[in-house]
Amino acid sequence: MTSVHACVDQPPVIAVAGLTKTYTFHKQGAGLVGAVKSLLRRTYETRLAVDRIEFTIGRGEVVGLLGPNGAGKTTTLKMLSGLLYPTSGDLEVLGHTPSRRRPDYLRRIALVMGQKSMLWWDVPAMESLLLHKEMYDLTTAEFDRSVTDLAELLEVQDLLNVQVRKVSLGERMKLELMAALVHSPEILFLDEPTIGLDVVAKARVRTFLNEVNRRHGTTILVTSHDMDDIEALCSRVMVVDHGRLQYDGSLSGLVRTARPRKLVRATYAQAVDGSHLAGLEGVIVESGDSDQIIKLEVERERTGDALEQLTRLGPLVDLDVADVEIEEIMRDLFLRRGTLDMEDAR
Amino acid sequence: MRTVPRNLRVLRRMTAAHIAMSLTYRGVWLIFMAANISVPIISLLIWRTALAHGAQLPIDEQYITTYFVLLSIVTMATSSWLTTFLASDIRLGKLSSWMVRPASLLLNFVANNLSEKVMKLFALVPMIGVLWWAFHDSMNVPAGPSRVVLFVISILLAGILVFTIDILIASLAFWMDDVSALHQARLVIANVLSGSIVPLALMPSWSRGFIDNQPFRYTVSFPVEIVAGDLSSAELLTGIGFQLGYVLVFGVLARLVWSSGIRAYSAVGA
Repeated sequence: MTSVHACVDQPPVIAVAGLTKTYTFHKQGAGLVGAVKSLLRRTYETRLAVDRIEFTIGRGEVVGLLGPNGAGKTTTLKMLSGLLYPTSGDLEVLGHTPSRRRPDYLRRIALVMGQKSMLWWDVPAMESLLLHKEMYDLTTAEFDRSVTDLAELLEVQDLLNVQVRKVSLGERMKLELMAALVHSPEILFLDEPTIGLDVVAKARVRTFLNEVNRRHGTTILVTSHDMDDIEALCSRVMVVDHGRLQYDGSLSGLVRTARPRKLVRATYAQAVDGSHLAGLEGVIVESGDSDQIIKLEVERERTGDALEQLTRLGPLVDLDVADVEIEEIMRDLFLRRGTLDMEDAR
Repeated sequence: MRTVPRNLRVLRRMTAAHIAMSLTYRGVWLIFMAANISVPIISLLIWRTALAHGAQLPIDEQYITTYFVLLSIVTMATSSWLTTFLASDIRLGKLSSWMVRPASLLLNFVANNLSEKVMKLFALVPMIGVLWWAFHDSMNVPAGPSRVVLFVISILLAGILVFTIDILIASLAFWMDDVSALHQARLVIANVLSGSIVPLALMPSWSRGFIDNQPFRYTVSFPVEIVAGDLSSAELLTGIGFQLGYVLVFGVLARLVWSSGIRAYSAVGA
């Protein structure tokens, strides 16, 4: 979580109030009968994709937009970048109404979609970069400097003159990022930027994005299902579900609120009996892998007591105290097992 | 006003890239060219054979030959593949990546269309030479340089008219899941009403009023008639006026449908 701090004395770069988006689509039953029925009589349904959400984002913040599939996070991103007209509500980004898609606005943002390319596939990436040079009115000096810096950071110097369809998925994503950032946008919208990438490529993309934020103060709003992306990049997260904003705050606040317990794992030199620990207030004993290992889930304020008890059981080889895995927390939230209190989380 | 020079620079860069992409797939391009010129050439041979066997037609061999030779040129210069590409971009959400960049969406389509025309020039120029060599004895030549100028202007207007109709049809993809059936229907109707298959001069006399004034005549037949036919000066000017009028009408219609469609765009999968 290395993003630069938002400037509190400056107005937000993104301000959203009561933002709502509904989609209308027709329903069709399965099979030939369903198709014929749909041809003769079409049933339309309206779906609320985003439901009166409100938030502001300051300059230089890196914010993660989280939620299960169909929660409304990509729709929100599309409205912020000007791709979709909101059904209702107020939306202002860098002082502009995004849906008007004014060149003055589009010049200051970039959108990278993990599953959609902005590069021409049948020619080298340099062709697309040169197009951006003209589109964004970059001088040759600005363009050359930007391309050199980005290519070095992303380690793609050798790929710029290779047909895009010939490069690997990870390399293509790096080139996509390069095309999106060649004009140094103030806001970068990222939709699943690491989808399909291997662990090495993911790590490089995260490091790069952190560096872009650190060097240029670029505001980044990212949607991802990969919690490692969120942990590595975001100082703040917003959880959206069923179109509603369920949480807006720090990642640690989300962890504290959703799963307020710590995980403790103690490994002993010999077998021990930890059954009496179950009697301790706020402690849950999980089944260990062997009699030499004891695993506990402990309320934060009881962690000290539990550790003291554990040290008395026998000679310790290893002691590990950690928060519940963020992946598990999100799984709980999305399955509606977890509950959130936004005020507490802040 | 830096917008116009910037758009021109963007257009130049886009057109160059589209040409480079087209050159990547040489086989596809060659087949496309062959398909474009084969229909008029086959039609020409059929009609000449019919005349040689005594078919009674209201037009002579000179007209038929000139008509179909010029038809192959005009068809190649004005036909366009834009509808399929654009409708696919709308339906699959590919338009999104252009919508977030500061340039008119129209530029990419114009570049695509221009690159198509440039690519066709490679086939068009030698084809004109071959056709002239083979048929020049039985062809009409333009009656003076003014006819040649009008012919060129008319081809340009025809190209723009086809382009606006393409955008109009493709824009319906904002609301319809699939416009391919509509596109096919338009192609069939246009082939008949534009004079691409049968010269409009052979259409029944009772249909004359409709045939002479419907828009598809001005996408192919009218430019050909400027050289092949015996249109009077008044008919020429009226025809150019009609062409301009249709360009304006379809241009405004395409603009309205497009603007309305952008509001309905759902950016699928993006």
